[in-house]
Amino acid sequence: MSTPAPHGMSEQKTLTSYVVGFLLSLSFTLMPYYLVVTHRVAGTSLLITILTFAMVQLLVQVIFFLHLGRGASSQANIYFFVGTFVAMLVVVVGSIVIISNLHSNMTSLDQTKRIIDSEGIYQVSGELTGACRGHYPNHRVTIENGKVTPLLTIATKCDTLTFIDNDIVNVAITFGPHIHHTSYAGLDILSVPKAHTKTITLSQTGTFLFHDHTRPEVKGSFAVVDAN
Amino acid sequence: MVNHEAHEAAADERVMFGFWVYLMTDLLLFSVLFASYSVLHGNTVGGPTGRDLFTLPLALQETILLLTSSFTCGLGLLAARSNKKWQTLICFGITFILGALFLSLEMKEFTEFIHSGQTLQTNAFLSSFFVLVGTHGLHITSGLLWMGVTMGYILKRGLNKALVRKLALLSLFWHFLDIVWIFIFTIVYLGAFA
Repeated sequence: MSTPAPHGMSEQKTLTSYVVGFLLSLSFTLMPYYLVVTHRVAGTSLLITILTFAMVQLLVQVIFFLHLGRGASSQANIYFFVGTFVAMLVVVVGSIVIISNLHSNMTSLDQTKRIIDSEGIYQVSGELTGACRGHYPNHRVTIENGKVTPLLTIATKCDTLTFIDNDIVNVAITFGPHIHHTSYAGLDILSVPKAHTKTITLSQTGTFLFHDHTRPEVKGSFAVVDAN
Repeated sequence: MVNHEAHEAAADERVMFGFWVYLMTDLLLFSVLFASYSVLHGNTVGGPTGRDLFTLPLALQETILLLTSSFTCGLGLLAARSNKKWQTLICFGITFILGALFLSLEMKEFTEFIHSGQTLQTNAFLSSFFVLVGTHGLHITSGLLWMGVTMGYILKRGLNKALVRKLALLSLFWHFLDIVWIFIFTIVYLGAFA
């Protein structure tokens, strides 16, 4: 290869190869452009056509501009080029095939909702999933000056519970006794920044303790009973 | 004397091969960026797609600028091989200007996108777009730097064997960048409208 080797081609021949390469490349650029702008062909066949033009132009430039195939070490260069090209195709085509396969096998949002409903998964990490759909009463727990009011909240399943942090510090609500925490409906910790509120859906029945993880003495509890 | 020349030619071939190996690894880098673009180009998170953002005439202008610069670069190398100093400088000068024009068009496009709120962080489509096209732009920038420095040397010291070898490597690099751009033009710009 190597651009015009001094002992390879004559100057005239090299000049001709550049001119031919330039004109061919120019036409192989304009033709797909024309096809795309005029929409003569459409869809996948258009995509294949313009990619073919690009491939042909690649060959044109490799032959007429890079002069691959001329010169002493050309053999090694060609092997290297072909090897790299194959690796490139594997990476690009492989990625496209794998990801599109993954995409088409992914569960759609509707299907996900159906599964959640039928399996009775009411909430994931304190977020409503749709099983407790509709309007339910809201209960409030205020944390102010290290005091929890009310200390006990009694609610019905699917009601919501809002934690209001009126303290001067951020509160991290954890469930169960201190140190050996449990979780509530898949929720391990609920961070409530100071002067903010956080609401959870009470989808799990039973009686639960909660406290601020950084100040275990700030604690309270709530009981959730079934609607009927 | 003949032995010396043969030795020099062999050294030339070795350098060329080494540079070729570099170009091929660079090609692999671009192939990974192309793969990520092909996979992510639809993920716009409700934002504008390539079809809404790209202007084809601008992309065509860029393509023709770069293609012409690739051609004049070849002519410059030809002049250097025949030891024509001024012809070499003129050809590479034109190549430099065309390359700089290409880069300015690309910068213009990028700034327009960013001003309209379409940035690298907006969505996966734009991330992969900016990284792919930006990496090519960075290559062009370094090519321009290299070209400027080499032209400065030629201007000061005239043409010699080492400089001609440098020009041969530079034009190899430049042709390579044009080939990468063909695929950016086809896949990114034309592909968005296909």
